[in-house]
Amino acid sequence: MKDENRIGTQNLGSLYTNGRVRSRREWRGIVDTAYDFSRWLHNWITMFRVVLVKPRNIKAMFRYRWMASYLAVPMMIDRHTQGLRNEHLRICHEEQDLIVEDVAKLLDKLFRGDRRIGNDREFSSKVVLVDENEMQSVMMGFPTVVPLSREIASTYIPVLLNQRAALHYIDVAQEYGLAGDVCPMPEAEAGVSIDDDAPVLGCCAVQCNTTCDGSLMGNSVISKRLELEDGIPVFQLATPLRHREDDVQEYAAQEIRNAIAFIEEHTGEKWDWTHYFECAKRVNYATKCRLEWLEINRTDYPQVFGSNLALYTETNYMAISGRLKVFEDADRKITALAEKAFKKKRMAANEYRHRAIIWGVQSHYYMDFLVWLLNCWGIVPLTDMLSMVNTRMIAETDTPENREQAIYDIAWLTENMIMRNRTHGGYKVLLDELWEFVEEFNADMVILWEHMSCKALDGMHGMFEEKAREKGIHLVWVSHDLFDPRVISRQGVRDQINSYMRTVMNEEPVDPSLEILNDVESW
Amino acid sequence: MMTLIKKLLSFLLKLVLIAVAGTALLFVVYFFNLDMKLTAAMEPLLTWFYDNKVKRDQHL
Repeated sequence: MKDENRIGTQNLGSLYTNGRVRSRREWRGIVDTAYDFSRWLHNWITMFRVVLVKPRNIKAMFRYRWMASYLAVPMMIDRHTQGLRNEHLRICHEEQDLIVEDVAKLLDKLFRGDRRIGNDREFSSKVVLVDENEMQSVMMGFPTVVPLSREIASTYIPVLLNQRAALHYIDVAQEYGLAGDVCPMPEAEAGVSIDDDAPVLGCCAVQCNTTCDGSLMGNSVISKRLELEDGIPVFQLATPLRHREDDVQEYAAQEIRNAIAFIEEHTGEKWDWTHYFECAKRVNYATKCRLEWLEINRTDYPQVFGSNLALYTETNYMAISGRLKVFEDADRKITALAEKAFKKKRMAANEYRHRAIIWGVQSHYYMDFLVWLLNCWGIVPLTDMLSMVNTRMIAETDTPENREQAIYDIAWLTENMIMRNRTHGGYKVLLDELWEFVEEFNADMVILWEHMSCKALDGMHGMFEEKAREKGIHLVWVSHDLFDPRVISRQGVRDQINSYMRTVMNEEPVDPSLEILNDVESW
Repeated sequence: MMTLIKKLLSFLLKLVLIAVAGTALLFVVYFFNLDMKLTAAMEPLLTWFYDNKVKRDQHL
């Protein structure tokens, strides 16, 4: 399928330079450029209004190394909006601009309570620290408690902004003898703690046993410092890994009851069922919208896909968990835009050649790879593993039976946290369901991320290949090292696709200027 | 009365001209990515500051 009338979507590679940033922004035609300009202005105003106007946040900028990565916020949005026009551009901004505001508020709250910066003790006494992989559904019944993730602010977001953001912390962790072959994400988080570069605040913390050996190692390093030096007690939420088995659910529910009791004890707040069920309604609404987007993606005219699906789902599903109404409003607007675009048969790129399911754990330092796949080779990333999370509706009416059910629902959501619901839980969730999705979405290709340090997935390499051969599906392996572009660069990631498309598929790129890019130094 | 209206119109015209000039200037910053070029130039200075001026209690 082709759409030749799109303005300025040829030679997107010409905007790249050898340095940190691009030479200029895209020309998208008068209407879309004016719209993009207005959103750029809006985001700068948000960053000034929420963060930069307060002296304590400027002080934090000169204290925490990871804060330098936030200089690149507008460029991150440019990377994800590359080549987008009309409704797709608006969907992307609807999501990204909301995430920018949410993260700006997270930073502001962290520094408000931080003992080194704002030191607002009253505020800090209501803060519960949650780790980066923690489903925040356990906070849905605490309207006056503030859950904050230091790891999201110090490692998760910075690597999205700047591909080299975590390198210093990975090196620090390894200098102190931590293994170099574990996942670099928890390793970097441990590095932040070792480097004394994490804000210190909160009355207690909750860590989850998600999702691997590296994660457990990182959490142990962080909790040691929190408990023994900062005097912040930590609850270990040990959620079962075989989450599809009925016999683990009672144990999972008991862990949630224990976590709630722990938070009540340390914050002095009581679980609020009215607030919980309000949040539960919003969780269900988000699930309904996501299912509708996926339904559209099964057709010839997918609308909410690629980065637009992946990054937003991660934020909304895991970090928000129905707690904020603005995300419900965004879900509504995105759905309306997607339906409008679908009726008009809008395309998000000049040409669609292949329909792909993206599986495995994606490269964090190259999150806009999905945009590149679309623009360079016309490969449509219909959905990705991390977006295929819970589809079950949870109890949303306040009744005595539902109060009991709600504990099981929170446990279910926690067990089905992004990534762990596929990398753990057995053969069916990782392997069998992939091929079911391939059929449902009428895909002819699977792009399989091979995160080199993720032992949960590496063991199944041969089984994926065997099944792909049996089904006649093009399976393209793309190796990466999640947080560390020194191991495999962004061009190294692209080269794996380029080689497959040229040698196996015998195709030429849709936009040849994007095939080889010198972006080693880029943010 | 006419003088007042003239003054008001002149003030509004100036306001519109300032808004148009401001928007044009911001658009130049936006289109030529000058905001990111400036922040990219700030990054090495911040890195130097983190390496040399921030005291940390680094340990396992």
